[in-house]
Amino acid sequence: MNAFLAVLWKDLLQEWRSRDRLVAMLVFSALVIVVFHFALPGGAGAQTRSFAPGLLWVAYVFAALLGLGHAFAIELENDALAGLALAPAERGWIFLGKWAANVAILGLAQAVTAVVFGVVFEVDLLPVAGRFALVAVLGNIGLCAIGTLAAAVAVRTRFRELLLPLLVLPLLWPVLSGAVRATADLVATGRMGFEPIQLLIVADAAYLIVSFVSFEYVLDE
Amino acid sequence: MIRATGAILATIAALWAFAVAGAPADAMQGAIQKILYVHVPAAVGAYLGFLTTALCGALYLRSGAERWDRLAISAAEIGVVFCSLNIATGPIWARGTWGHWWAWDPRLTLTLLLWFIYLAYLLLRGFTEGSERTARFAAVYALLGALAIPLNYFAIRLFGGAAMHPDNLQRGSLGPGMGWPFALGLLAATAAFAHLLALRFDLESRRVEEARALAQERRE
Repeated sequence: MNAFLAVLWKDLLQEWRSRDRLVAMLVFSALVIVVFHFALPGGAGAQTRSFAPGLLWVAYVFAALLGLGHAFAIELENDALAGLALAPAERGWIFLGKWAANVAILGLAQAVTAVVFGVVFEVDLLPVAGRFALVAVLGNIGLCAIGTLAAAVAVRTRFRELLLPLLVLPLLWPVLSGAVRATADLVATGRMGFEPIQLLIVADAAYLIVSFVSFEYVLDE
Repeated sequence: MIRATGAILATIAALWAFAVAGAPADAMQGAIQKILYVHVPAAVGAYLGFLTTALCGALYLRSGAERWDRLAISAAEIGVVFCSLNIATGPIWARGTWGHWWAWDPRLTLTLLLWFIYLAYLLLRGFTEGSERTARFAAVYALLGALAIPLNYFAIRLFGGAAMHPDNLQRGSLGPGMGWPFALGLLAATAAFAHLLALRFDLESRRVEEARALAQERRE
């Protein structure tokens, strides 16, 4: 438990001092939104609005992949990764610390991106802000559970930037489809069904538990 | 072992080819329906491969015995081959009967996602250095991949498109004379899986021994 708080605090402090991960994620997701604007004929019409939830989550996933890759790359400096592995603590808690820091940083990026996205594509998220935040956090939990584990694996391979999305994306599908569906329901009707939330909770719990348990085999000296 | 599985495979495959040749053409679809005798057995081979990979991965993490990892990589490669065969024969059949090459049908989506998971598994193995580390990483990813199968299934049940594939085959859902070639096809796929697994496992064992001998030589 102490390891969890220590790793979380270290990662957040590091991010607060440099802010490079958050800035990179924000600029990147803004660029993705600009690309969507040019890719979709007609700009912000009613048709685009029906794609909006999917597009928003694509921007989130891309930004997350960028940030997650960095989460363990920073540990390579001064061989801090070996230090983490040698720390006299349950490795699952180290994983949870890393994971929680990722969730926090990605959550912040998501909030800012949602505002920009809402303005540019004329999607009014304000009336459903609370419920949308719940969906975003639930999606975030699963995304970061797979992502943190995969980043810890990828950082110890050749071509780690190449491998991370290939490892994450095929596993992400249950989380992503639940999050997109829930967001689409919210944007269209202001309400959301129980099924997508149920799917998100089940997928989050399953991925989080397996990642927690198997992180022991991923970290090595 | 390899000879025995090879002999069994050759016998079953010959019977299967004979049965498929003699099977009646479908009244509605004509000869193209015979792709069924390859398409479904290939899916069986794919799922056998992926389940074996995950199981062997778990056993490797538990015991640390290297032979489980050799079995896991063998099963994963064979699973990908069968899965590719399944995904390749599907569109050919679909174009002839549904009129489209591809449809985002639930079972199709599930199989495609599975294919991507195990391609990623093979890439991960290719990109990792050190045999012990490769085995560990691959085993963890195989477990996550096995977990993704029911989750994907659940997700697809909720929001997948309209089902184009029939539900699981029940007795009598195939026309008269089609049961035998179908059953032999499933048997042939299982036999082919076993034979290829034995071959690939042997190859992997030789590769590992060779690499070890080479490393030894260099040290001396």
